[in-house]
Amino acid sequence: MERSLIRKEVLPFLAIFGSLILATIITDALLHQFELVWIGRWLGIPGVILILLSFLYSMRKRKIISFGKPKILLALHETLTWLGALLILVHAGIHIYTILPWLALVAMMVNVISGMTGKYLLDRSRRFLAEKKAAFATQGLPEDEVERKLFWDATTFDLMKKWRAVHLPITLAFVVLGITHILSIFLFWEWK
Amino acid sequence: MKNRTVILIVAVNLAALVMLAVFFPHLMVSPGKPIDAHAELATDCFACHTPFIGSPPTKCIACHKVEEIGKITTKGLPIEKEKKNVAFHQKLIEEDCVACHSDHKGVQAFRPIGQFSHQLLQPAVGKQCDSCHANPGDALHQKIEGNCGSCHTQARWTPATFEHDQYFRFDKHHRADCRTCHVESDYGKYTCYGCHEHSRSKIREEHVEEGIYDYEVCVECHRSGDEDEAEYIWRTKRMKQGGIKGEHRGFNRGKHNDDD
Repeated sequence: MERSLIRKEVLPFLAIFGSLILATIITDALLHQFELVWIGRWLGIPGVILILLSFLYSMRKRKIISFGKPKILLALHETLTWLGALLILVHAGIHIYTILPWLALVAMMVNVISGMTGKYLLDRSRRFLAEKKAAFATQGLPEDEVERKLFWDATTFDLMKKWRAVHLPITLAFVVLGITHILSIFLFWEWK
Repeated sequence: MKNRTVILIVAVNLAALVMLAVFFPHLMVSPGKPIDAHAELATDCFACHTPFIGSPPTKCIACHKVEEIGKITTKGLPIEKEKKNVAFHQKLIEEDCVACHSDHKGVQAFRPIGQFSHQLLQPAVGKQCDSCHANPGDALHQKIEGNCGSCHTQARWTPATFEHDQYFRFDKHHRADCRTCHVESDYGKYTCYGCHEHSRSKIREEHVEEGIYDYEVCVECHRSGDEDEAEYIWRTKRMKQGGIKGEHRGFNRGKHNDDD
């Protein structure tokens, strides 16, 4: 019974995050390979639309809207933000010409990590810890021994909870930076 | 955290970012530094941009007078190294500077100067290829003047098409390498001598036998290996020249190819 949160929960989290980075690199490489780099310039728009759609879950959770099953909307939230983040990462490329869009990108990535933390390290860990605690209890271990065994996992669990607490402010920071970036594009874009 | 507090923080951040963008646009929003010649405009976005419209040509023309482009600089100095034979900026159908030019490094990948479209040129100028382009000077091109459009498009130099069929059609007996007929890659000349029975003496003998003495320009009649076609062309030509006279009224041989 030495299952660790790191192995069971953190690694899957890293796998999903890693797949986002890998998918970005592959997409970017394909666009360069087929000389379609110009497409990347426009991927910010569908990326933003996908992320905006993912907010349906956030609105449902805060009772701003009342339609849609929360479970489905949550799955949609996770999927759309992953896809939206992918498109925006490709849109950003690796060229650093100016600060503002990169601030928005960094905020988005922190947001993605925070969201993934919520998905993998909070919800699933909570369920896992509950099972583990029940298993220890059936073995007849003393209460303090169970608490000691669970201590490190529980500590990690609390840290995750704090992580989730920063999800909303980070989202707001991303929204502000994203809007500023979009406004600057509207201001200076060559519309013709 | 109360909603009002969150909104206040967001508003303060937004205001701070806007201020930073206003005072440090070259760092905050500029997609890369402008070209060196415009370095002094790096912090003055609206020297070239009109808010929510873009960069209209009027902004460029305020400094770059169309009639002076390619001739003198904006500071009035003559451009000595101008290599173009025509100052084509004066021959464009419309003033649309950003159709070809981009200032910021980050934008140049999407709007490279190489994307210049010949459609922007006045039709008469568009046909004067050698006004801007130099003849490559290789064996194929050195004897060609003008008429580039018969092989090349204005979109790309290659692939180039050449309608060889209008001079000579290749067939199963004539799948030769270019150099077989165009000796030393001189495409301005060709020779039919040297292959199979195409020796000078045989060709002379066969033509004289038919009363043909002007046979040096082979492709004038032989547009392929089809000798009947050559006969037809020869007869037609003679008819136009005033009829076929004497005993040499035509070919008296049956249908065959010249390689028979």
